[in-house]
Amino acid sequence: MDYGGPLRRLIFAVLVLSLFGFFLLWRIDNPRVERFRAQVTNKVVPNMEWAMAPVTGFINVVRDFQSYQRIADQNTELRRELRQMQVWKEAALQLEQENARLLDLNNVQLDSRLTYITGVVLADSGSPFRQSVLLNIGAHDGIVEGWATMDGIGLVGRISGVAKNTARVILATDASSRIPAIIQPSGQTAIVAGDNSAAPPIDFLENPDLVRPGDRVVSSGDGGVFPAGLLIGQITADPGGRLRVRLSADYERLKFLRVLRHYGAEPVSDTANILSPVPSAILHNEAIK
Amino acid sequence: MNSLAPSRVWMMRAAFTLLILIILFFHLLPLQTAPGGIIWPNLILAFSLSWSVRRPQYVPTVLLACMFFLADFLLQRPPGLWAMLALVACEHVKSQARSLRDASITTEIAFILAWIVGISISYRIILAILYVEVPPVGPALLQIVATVAAYPFVIVVTHAFMGVRKATPNDTGTRGS
Repeated sequence: MDYGGPLRRLIFAVLVLSLFGFFLLWRIDNPRVERFRAQVTNKVVPNMEWAMAPVTGFINVVRDFQSYQRIADQNTELRRELRQMQVWKEAALQLEQENARLLDLNNVQLDSRLTYITGVVLADSGSPFRQSVLLNIGAHDGIVEGWATMDGIGLVGRISGVAKNTARVILATDASSRIPAIIQPSGQTAIVAGDNSAAPPIDFLENPDLVRPGDRVVSSGDGGVFPAGLLIGQITADPGGRLRVRLSADYERLKFLRVLRHYGAEPVSDTANILSPVPSAILHNEAIK
Repeated sequence: MNSLAPSRVWMMRAAFTLLILIILFFHLLPLQTAPGGIIWPNLILAFSLSWSVRRPQYVPTVLLACMFFLADFLLQRPPGLWAMLALVACEHVKSQARSLRDASITTEIAFILAWIVGISISYRIILAILYVEVPPVGPALLQIVATVAAYPFVIVVTHAFMGVRKATPNDTGTRGS
C-alpha cells in the first residue's frame, strides 16, 4: 500500500495550504475574490439552467397540488378579497386622477430615467445562512452593482456581484442587507436591517412612539444607492414588541424580478464647499469603469 | 493498491463527481427564496466522509478538494475555509479506513460525528478570529444535528445503491485480469 506515501502527503499539504491561502486572500481582498466568484457562478450555473427550470417547475406543481385540494375554500376567500379590492381600485383611480391634476398644477417633471430590466431567477443561495438569488441578466445587459431590485410590488433587494450573464441579488432578508427607509405617514427615517428572518427588524428609529403597525415603509434614497419611494413593506410588531417590516414583495415565489436602472443623483461639479463626495458619485464612477 | 481494475476506479470517481454536482444542483434550485425553511443536512460532507471510509481510492484528495472548493463558491460560503476543514476530515478518515473497515457501524458513526462537530466548531472559531460574519448559531447547530442524523441513511445509500462497500479480503487480489 503506497497510500500514506510522501507524494500523497505533499499533495495533501499543498492543497490544504492553498485552500487556506485562498480563504485568507478572500479575507484580505474581498471584492476581487467575490468578482471571481461571480465569474465562476456565471460559468457553472447557466449550464444547469436547462435542467433547473423543469425540475423547479415539477416540484412547484407537486406543491401546488396540495393547495388544489382546498380550492373551494380558496375560491370563496378570493371572492371576498376581490370585493375589497374593487373598493381599493375605486379609491386608487380617484387618487390617480387627483394626483395627475396636482402634478399638472405644479408642473412636476418625473424622472424618466427610472426604467427597469426584467430578469428571471436562476438559482437561490443554496444555503440557509444566506438570502440571495441569481438572475439571468448581467453586465452584458447593463446591470450595475448596487441597483435596486423589485418584484411587481415591493423592493426585493440590491444587486451585489455582477458577471457577464448573471447577477446576484442580496435579498432584503439577508443578514448583511441594510436599507435606508422612511416610515409613512410619520416621516421617520430608519434602517431596515435584514437578519435572516422573514420580517426584517427596524433599526435606528428615532421615535418609535410615532410608528404604528400598518404604517408603510418606503426606501428613503439616503446614501444614493436606491431611488427614493420604493415600497418595502408594512410595519408589524413581533411578540417581543420589536418593530419589524412585513415585506410587500412575495419572497415565497420570486420568479421575475425588475432591476431598476438608477444612475444616482447628478454629482455637484462645484466641489469647493463640499466636504466629501456623494456616495452615489463614487458608485457612478465605478459603474463607468 | 491494485485491488480494483483502474476502469472501475475511474468510473466511480466520475460517479462521485456527478453525485456532488447533483447535490449542488438541488441546493441551487430556486425553491427556497424566503428565509426560515427546512435546513438540509450537509450531504456533500456526509457523502464524502462515507465514501472516504469505504473506498479511499474512489475519492482522491485532489477531487475532494476541487468539489469542496466548488461547493464553497456556489453556496456563498467564504471560499476555501470549509473546503480545507472538510478535506482534512476526509483525509484523516481515509487514513483510518483500514481500522474502520473492521469496526462496527456505531464506532464509525461516533468517529464521523466527532469529525463533523470538530470541523464545524473550528470553522466558527476561525471565522470569529478573522472577524468574518459567523452564521447564526441556531440554524448552524440544526445543520450539524441534521447532518449527523442523515449519516446512517447516507451509509445505507452508499452501501446499497451506489455499491461503495468496505473492502473485503476477497478484493485484495487483482480483478479483471
